[in-house]
Amino acid sequence: MTRPSGKPPGFFGTAAIVLAKDLRIEGRTRETIAATLLFALVVLVIFGLAFDLDTMRRLGASKLVPGVVWITLAFSAIVGFTRSFRLERTSEAWVAVALAPVDRGAVFAGKWVANAVLLVALEIVLFPLAAVLFDVDLVSIALPLAGVTLLHTVGLAGIGTLFGGIVSRLNRGEALLATLLLPTSTPLFLSAVHCTGSVLDGKPLSDDRGWLLLTAGLDVLFVLVSLLVFDAILED
Amino acid sequence: MPRRLAYPLLAVATLATMPVALCSIFLRAPEERVMGAVQKIFYVHVPLASITFLSVFVLLVGAVGYLWTRRAAWDHLSIAAAEVGLLYCTLVLITGPIWAKPAWGVWWTWEAKLTTTVILWLLLAGILLARAYAATPEQGARIASILGAVAALDVPIVYKAVDWWRGQHPIVFGPGKPDPLAPGMGSALMLSMLAFVLLYALLVASRMRLADLSDRVAACEEAASRER
Repeated sequence: MTRPSGKPPGFFGTAAIVLAKDLRIEGRTRETIAATLLFALVVLVIFGLAFDLDTMRRLGASKLVPGVVWITLAFSAIVGFTRSFRLERTSEAWVAVALAPVDRGAVFAGKWVANAVLLVALEIVLFPLAAVLFDVDLVSIALPLAGVTLLHTVGLAGIGTLFGGIVSRLNRGEALLATLLLPTSTPLFLSAVHCTGSVLDGKPLSDDRGWLLLTAGLDVLFVLVSLLVFDAILED
Repeated sequence: MPRRLAYPLLAVATLATMPVALCSIFLRAPEERVMGAVQKIFYVHVPLASITFLSVFVLLVGAVGYLWTRRAAWDHLSIAAAEVGLLYCTLVLITGPIWAKPAWGVWWTWEAKLTTTVILWLLLAGILLARAYAATPEQGARIASILGAVAALDVPIVYKAVDWWRGQHPIVFGPGKPDPLAPGMGSALMLSMLAFVLLYALLVASRMRLADLSDRVAACEEAASRER
């Protein structure tokens, strides 16, 4: 991308360029979203076979559906994070990124927002689909559900982008992503499942103030740490 | 030289404290009224668990120190903390169920301390695996430091989250109210704690020395291959 002034862009400028680049490539190839979406569908169908509607009704939707949806999301997100840095890796574009006179944290920020956007796109398909398959009324709880989901997606995209960047530098690293990501984001998933369950039960969000605060703290922690250390990933 | 003296001193102190702690546990400390001999594992399990979580703090210090200064010594500390921490964590996960089965009636519960320990084990194993996968030792050091810092910051949050999570359910097999320890029990626990801290320090010091030596061997080999 050429810039008329010849001056390197600032933090937000760089992040916006990286974000626009990732989304444009995704918009033209639709590779990652197709891969993650298809994978999510497969996982959801398998869960549907494991717990049929009878079991689901007996236990109550709020007991099973949050776990099913967030496990599906976690698995498909891993597929997405693995692909997030594939282009940089396969065409040795890391060297160009590392040479660019820009803040490396901004490169992380761009990738993070791009991953978050992709996750939200996935969720927009996944939640209604899960509602249909498992007989849940989504319309009445759409707003609090969207809020809860977005809050957890932000943090998940943050830590996923950092770990995706790390494993993209390692040989045979892809296998490691799930091993690193899932234990680290345990608190995030516990909170997501708990809050989604409360929303499905029709409880007000203020009941889960502690969880939401914990997640907001995790979001900030994951993103701040990633901004600080992303530099070290790009060396060598 | 004080540093050369410190290492054998540490080894001698560890070797001397271990049998004293064992005697104190098995000969001096009174047998617990309800649980009987099984309770003796408490004197091993509790120090191991405390030091495992101390090791996470050491890992954080080593990882942040390396990312900040890029001095190899900090990375050696973080290698040692991760490896010895994983060893202690494994022992915690082995000694815990041995006690839990007779005391609680189950090998395992998903209580906060247990769950956090198993997640910590996974994190430490993941860090060591990531380091092993790295293309160069420097890359391994950087990546392990990043992961170590993230994992160490994560562990207290995992504990809090699992604690809340389980708080929603009644704890069926709770440890109950801790009885105040009988006189012989307290001193046995303290002695055992001292023995395991000394062992930890010895293992960490040995591992750091090993890392330092292998760095020097690698440097010598590189120099030799350049001369040829």
